Amino acid sequence: MTSDKDSTRILSLENVGLYYSRRLRFLKRSRFWALQDISFDLRAGETLGVIGRNGCGKSTLLRVVAGIIAPNTGKIIVNRPEMRISLISLGAGFIPHLSGRENALLSGMLLGATKNEILSRLDDIVAFSELNDFFDEPVNTYSTGMRARLGFSVAYHLNPDVILLDEVLGVGDEVFKKKSTEAMKERIKSDKTVVLVSHVVPLLREVCDRIVWIENGRTQAQGDASKILELYMRSITQMNKQPFSEKQEK
Amino acid sequence: MEPLCMSIKGTISTGYKDRRHFIDLVVQKAKAGLRAEASRGYLGVLWWILEPVMYMTIFYFVFLHLFQRGDENFVIFLLTGLIVWKWFISTVSSSASSLMANVGLMNQVYVPKILFPLTTVAVNTFKFFVVFALYLVFLQFTETKVTWAWTFLPVVIVTQLFLIVAVSGFLAAIMPFFPDLRVILDNFLLMLFFLSGIFFDISRLPESIQGYLWLNPMAVMINMYRQVLHNSVLPDLQQLVMVLLFSAVTMFFAALIYKHFDRIYPKIIH
Repeated sequence: MTSDKDSTRILSLENVGLYYSRRLRFLKRSRFWALQDISFDLRAGETLGVIGRNGCGKSTLLRVVAGIIAPNTGKIIVNRPEMRISLISLGAGFIPHLSGRENALLSGMLLGATKNEILSRLDDIVAFSELNDFFDEPVNTYSTGMRARLGFSVAYHLNPDVILLDEVLGVGDEVFKKKSTEAMKERIKSDKTVVLVSHVVPLLREVCDRIVWIENGRTQAQGDASKILELYMRSITQMNKQPFSEKQEK
Repeated sequence: MEPLCMSIKGTISTGYKDRRHFIDLVVQKAKAGLRAEASRGYLGVLWWILEPVMYMTIFYFVFLHLFQRGDENFVIFLLTGLIVWKWFISTVSSSASSLMANVGLMNQVYVPKILFPLTTVAVNTFKFFVVFALYLVFLQFTETKVTWAWTFLPVVIVTQLFLIVAVSGFLAAIMPFFPDLRVILDNFLLMLFFLSGIFFDISRLPESIQGYLWLNPMAVMINMYRQVLHNSVLPDLQQLVMVLLFSAVTMFFAALIYKHFDRIYPKIIH
């Protein structure tokens, strides 16, 4: 049983803690523990939701899983080092003076895809982004929506082994938002491994297999999506009933 | 809670096991940087030539007409020093802050942090090649002519490239820890500018002072270019080895720093 579980495990976090240190004055630093004690496994093919209120460390956690920052305490055990784990960030490394095409190539390579992979998918990226002739215009002539569309199309077509998503499912105007949300949902529901960070309960309920609930940088609970979401909802309602002073004591 | 251990077993993937991909990325990022720079002004790529020419013209007038120093030979002597120095200073100076300049990007994706100084080196090396090639042509209209010794230029250039990569990489690695170092660094580089024998011939100074000045690898490099270009003297093997050794040691320490702090830089740079 245990060995069976092991084989599907992509990575495990064991009591992971992480702090940011801030310089106060000369030689004086303060530590802020963004994560204190986080443990969970990520299994192949699942969609894992991470829920928690603002500032509980969700985004920091994603960056730890993506390998962008190293934890200060605890362990990350990577069982499948050959897998590409990518945090989907829109417009990573965009240079305003360059065309959409050049930026798509650069951004895609920064996200970990090889040059040939991106070149072979450029047509799909243009088509999906609906930028048409604008694709060869400098990005600084784009509207915010167009820029988001380009960023999304690049990120979407890279197709890493594990997708890490921070809130963004859809971007752009209403039409493109619908299209991009649907595309992302479809990908999430396929047997792709996805970690989705959000505080939107209906979305998590719709797409996630399992949920990790994080509170103040600690794993509060984890397990079956509907069960954890119910616990989370209950705690939120309870918290809202409590008077403000009690909340602070807690 | 004390920090106990920081272990990432295996590498958290992002496709950088592949060295080829990393090199592609450096090239692509450098190309993008050059193209962006060229598209900024109306004169575009012309600036890669105009800017160094302007820079050198200033020194030319100041030294030849204002200070009334020397003749055509001195001008050539000065220009060679300036071109070689400019490659070094512009690369090192912007590499030093390259990690800080890319803090947004390194928080979005994982990239080996050496990418940032290496991109700066690639951009500036390309610009140097353009200027240097033109300078070699220009030299044909002066008393300096092409000789067999010039075939050793690639050796000299590659040695300087190693030196630049090492110093750039090292400075980029340590600057995030000491942001206040910037002012000291700028002034130190200014001091080196005056001590590298750009305006004078170190070998004409008293022996006692010479020994100290030759400890500066850039002084050695500049002298080497002049020997090859103007005097048809082949580069001194011992000097080459010393510069390469200095670069290798610097690179080694830089590599240690990058290895240890690769996934810590995004946390400490603000």
